[in-house]
Amino acid sequence: MRKLLIIFGVMSFLIFIRPVLGLNSNTNTDNTEITLSAEQVAPEHRGEGVLEGAFNGIKQFYSYTGFANATSGHIIMIIIGLIFIYLGIKFDYEPLLLIPIGTGVMLGNIPFVAGNMTGIYETGSVFNYLYFGVVKGIYPPLIFLGIGAMTDFSSLIANPKLMLLGAAAQIGVFGTFLGALYLGFNLPEAGAIGIIGGADGPTAIFLSSKLANGINILPDGTTVKNLIGPIAIAAYSYMALVPVIQPPIMRLLVSKEDRKIRMKPPRAVSQKEKMLFPIIGLLLTTFISPSALPLLGMLFFGNLLKESGRTERLAETARTKLIDIVTILLGVTVGASTQADIFLNKDSLLIFGLGAISFVIATMGGLFFAKFMNLFLKGDDRINPLIGAAGVSAVPDSARVVHTEALKSDPHNYLLMHAMAPNVSGVIGSAVAAGIILSFLA
Amino acid sequence: MLLYVDLDMDQISEGYVILMTGLFIVFSALFSLFLFFRFGMSYLLYIYKIITKGRDRKIEDIAVDADEDFTGEIAAAIATAIHMYLNEQHDKENPILTIKQAKKQYSPWSSKIYGTHNRL
Repeated sequence: MRKLLIIFGVMSFLIFIRPVLGLNSNTNTDNTEITLSAEQVAPEHRGEGVLEGAFNGIKQFYSYTGFANATSGHIIMIIIGLIFIYLGIKFDYEPLLLIPIGTGVMLGNIPFVAGNMTGIYETGSVFNYLYFGVVKGIYPPLIFLGIGAMTDFSSLIANPKLMLLGAAAQIGVFGTFLGALYLGFNLPEAGAIGIIGGADGPTAIFLSSKLANGINILPDGTTVKNLIGPIAIAAYSYMALVPVIQPPIMRLLVSKEDRKIRMKPPRAVSQKEKMLFPIIGLLLTTFISPSALPLLGMLFFGNLLKESGRTERLAETARTKLIDIVTILLGVTVGASTQADIFLNKDSLLIFGLGAISFVIATMGGLFFAKFMNLFLKGDDRINPLIGAAGVSAVPDSARVVHTEALKSDPHNYLLMHAMAPNVSGVIGSAVAAGIILSFLA
Repeated sequence: MLLYVDLDMDQISEGYVILMTGLFIVFSALFSLFLFFRFGMSYLLYIYKIITKGRDRKIEDIAVDADEDFTGEIAAAIATAIHMYLNEQHDKENPILTIKQAKKQYSPWSSKIYGTHNRL
């Protein structure tokens, strides 16, 4: 048995090295006789040719690898992806988003030769199909369904006046919109950039996929730029950075005494009220802003599933499995859409700058409006102006930031429940704002 | 689609139009929600009560006045307790894997010899 194996091994070795030894005349069936004779004359040369062929093959393979095609842009983007992953793991900044997006950024920036259906922008590639959900705005409403099914609106129902704070923070959306116009973006692009101030990733993707998708044609005949990638990345990264951006503004604008204001605990809300909220909210907001129907419709539908008490199974799926699946797909594809040749340009830098400003404006808008409301409120009804900052959606991070900021000035002032009210109304507000911008500019 | 006020109007001024109207609409939307929940809710609940009078009530509604004592602070305390409890639940495992030989006593469960000598 062993002998048999040895013989077999030697034979296969011989077959393997036969070309090198120049014994390959019978393998090339299509060779002409002339070449055959040439080989017989100079078998060594043939051997060299084979080596050269192999070398050429390797060379060609090398030309297909990432090493050969890498540009500085790819490297920069891969480093950015790594930073995202690092931020997500090390500092726990929205890891559920940053890690898929960071991985997506790396996936999208592996250098490849175009034409092999690899890249996210090549029709027919797998990533392109997954990206379809982003381009057509399919993923955001599904995410909103899950958000609706996990959001408890009771603090908002208990204290409806806090809803106005969610509207006040939308000044960030429109302020940024104007800023983008001044920087030379055209109307639809500016609208899509402005929504970064809504601090709501799905809404930002939804609106940019409708307005700045690189397909729409403007009245003057030019095509809008494809800004989905930069806008989504800016929105998500600033949402992750809310704990860094907001506290200094809060400290700057709200005096020490105001930060200590204690709000009376919200009243208990009955199940009926909770059930009625999504229905009324749906009807009222979508009648006012029908373009926001995909977002608001799904948001309130999800909430009705949660509160109806009869559809716990559906609500459970929507807020766990479904939203997880969509988040994975959304994160990776949005990350991968940042292909260096499309992403690394002046526009993206401007968008990042505008995004930061929009968060600042939105936070300030919320804080100022809360102070303004306090002018009309007396005694127990006064609100702690800090919760105005939670009006920039970014659920639930900004509410958490408000909570920790309040604890710093008064260790027994728990604002989380109160801050959730403007926080969720911020989601409604930014969806309404998206609907308005869409109806003006689409 | 809805509002191309003036095509020769420049972008910036159209931007201002959108800024104003947009902010106004967002405010009015949430303000109407506020008005409804501040003033309209009680009527709605009253109507609901009339409609569902005498019918089966499987979904128990939380009576507002019965829960006066249950404040947000209590809820926060409970939530904190749960949070702290859940944070204790690490399943930390020893990362060092070794194959230990399980020292077993001789088990004669299938031994023929044992069976022949020790009849049950």
